[in-house]
Amino acid sequence: MNPDISANPIETRRSTSNRHVKIIRPPSFSPLKLLGNLVLLAQYRDLLLALSAHRVKVRYKQSVLGLFWAILQPLSLMLIYTVIFSLVARMPSEGTPYAIFSYVALLPWTYFSTCVTNSASGLVSQPQLVTKVYFPREILPMSYVIAALFDFLVASTVLAGLLLYYRVGLTLNALYALPIILVLTMFSSSVAFVLSATQVRFRDIGLAIPLMLQLWMFVSPVLYPLNSVPARWRTLYLLNPIAGVVENFRRVILMGASPDFYSLGISTLIAVILLPVTYIYFKHVEATVADII
Amino acid sequence: MTIDLKFEHVSKKYRVRQRREDYRSRHPILRKLQSLRTRAGDFWALKDVSFEVESGEALGIIGHNGAGKSTILKLLSSITAPSAGEIMINGRLSALIEVGSGFHPELTGRENIFLNGAILGMSRRQIAARLDSIVEFAGVRQFLDTPVKRYSSGMYVRLGFSIAAHLDPDILLLDEVLAVGDAAFQEKCLQRISEVKRAGTTIVFISHDLAAVERLCDRVILLQRGQIIASGAPHEVIAQYESALSPAKSAQVEEALANQEKLAEVRALTFQDVTGRNVSVVQTGEPFSARLDFLAHERLSDAVFELFFYGADGEQECQFTTEVSGERIDLNPGAGTIEFSGSGLGLLPGIYYTDIVIKKRGTPKFYDWTQFNYTALRVAPGKLVRGKYYMPHQWRLIKEGASDDRDVTEAAMNNVAS
Repeated sequence: MNPDISANPIETRRSTSNRHVKIIRPPSFSPLKLLGNLVLLAQYRDLLLALSAHRVKVRYKQSVLGLFWAILQPLSLMLIYTVIFSLVARMPSEGTPYAIFSYVALLPWTYFSTCVTNSASGLVSQPQLVTKVYFPREILPMSYVIAALFDFLVASTVLAGLLLYYRVGLTLNALYALPIILVLTMFSSSVAFVLSATQVRFRDIGLAIPLMLQLWMFVSPVLYPLNSVPARWRTLYLLNPIAGVVENFRRVILMGASPDFYSLGISTLIAVILLPVTYIYFKHVEATVADII
Repeated sequence: MTIDLKFEHVSKKYRVRQRREDYRSRHPILRKLQSLRTRAGDFWALKDVSFEVESGEALGIIGHNGAGKSTILKLLSSITAPSAGEIMINGRLSALIEVGSGFHPELTGRENIFLNGAILGMSRRQIAARLDSIVEFAGVRQFLDTPVKRYSSGMYVRLGFSIAAHLDPDILLLDEVLAVGDAAFQEKCLQRISEVKRAGTTIVFISHDLAAVERLCDRVILLQRGQIIASGAPHEVIAQYESALSPAKSAQVEEALANQEKLAEVRALTFQDVTGRNVSVVQTGEPFSARLDFLAHERLSDAVFELFFYGADGEQECQFTTEVSGERIDLNPGAGTIEFSGSGLGLLPGIYYTDIVIKKRGTPKFYDWTQFNYTALRVAPGKLVRGKYYMPHQWRLIKEGASDDRDVTEAAMNNVAS
């Protein structure tokens, strides 16, 4: 007998009565199954956390600047836009210095674009996991969302520095930033579900994303204030959920005002509807994703 | 007995796109659009498969590549969904489909243990509790905080298997896990799997290593083109698979069977170690014996017993026979046992299949023949030597100037030689 083996005897079988019976059938939709999926996801929360931590660790391993990269991206964008839009061309910034005006919007925007860029390839970049082991697949795109949220928090420290530097005082309204980020996270997850699931069949998604994000940023009030959008276009404009999120994030932090509930309401409504719909779509694709990846 | 796994009329269809060449347009964009519209052909990886596995049972699944073995495991582990039918799973199931598939090269061994454990469905606490045994089994303690990209491929595989072997599920799925690693580690894995099985875990085992299947499994299913064509005791199903495997052999079998006159039959073949205990693993260089139980139906005069060993590649490695030495054997009707024994097993580590013949000396007629695949023998590393086989040998150091006469002469010869 090998001593290695006898050293750790396996626990004797527990009673068979508490076993969970699982029935697998061809894919079909039922609300009960959706609930079951959520329970399963909850059981795998340790994996979600481990994978998210893994994303962060791997991204910055063997890089000299390490975590500083999380700050560098919004910071350098801010510097570039500040040079262009406050020195070269004049862009209205509602009376605040353009640097902080743009940074406070680039922060949630970078969070969103990092989520989308990384999570879209969440399934296709890991065929060895998808075809060899089972776990709820939504964990893959979700782990990128959580990792991006972590980067967002790191980059927020620069915002704190800018607020101090420009002597902008926070008001209690700044607490609205939390539900606003929640709405943004819900919307980012929806986009992540759709893109990662669709990219399994159509790799065009990955190629289209940089262009799509570029356009998306210009139809969101990141570099300019919402009130420079003509009033008659504004409702149409606000159908982009990012618009309401970014504008209100800036409002509650920089202006110290309470959020504009009309624009935030539209964003929230869209996010609340999209999340379950995209999740169901994702789970539908998941059933056969290993066959076509 | 409770049923742990049940397949009820399960089918799995894959769509295979076939481009029809004759309709192709010359324009690349039109061609692209056409390819999206091409009819997808259906390929049935599994067709109406039904079986059950009882609690605590070890089921082996064998068959050619593409017969549907891995599809069954993928369905069981929810990696993909069936096209029709229903699968019932009673209990916590863990699958080990490819060792180390969830490893990330940049992370350290420790980080990978936690990540891989989580992927396989363990909680952080469960992994922490098993960390020591996992590391011990894999033998990577020194390198626990080294990124796994610096690991040798052997260490990589050992760690991957070790994590999965400590999952402690109700049902364990294993797919070709033994295709990697050296003979010593394979043996360690097999022992671990046996241990898991003894603890009451239900096992579904897929392998091309038929000897391992025979050793571990209580029952074997043979798949062909997505359907079960045989199910039953391991050695019977494996024999059926083996004979179908090589057409040359089956032609040989046909021809030879014409000469069979079933006046005796092989009952069992067992191997013993030096203490006389029955074993399925023998070590190279160790004393061993093989006992062949038979039954003679009539009086048989001048019978000969032959025991052949074939390697995994089908090559004949060696033979034990009563033909070339010893007394003449005359058998009375009834049961009997022939024991072959040796002071040191010459076979190097690996799997060997046995074949037994009982015949009458000097005639082409034979009484019984096991048709190539009888019991399997696994040889584990013992006294390892280089070369093709181990030759039992002794040695002694002969001192110069010793008083003993014989030593002096041998020492003198030694001098001449050097």
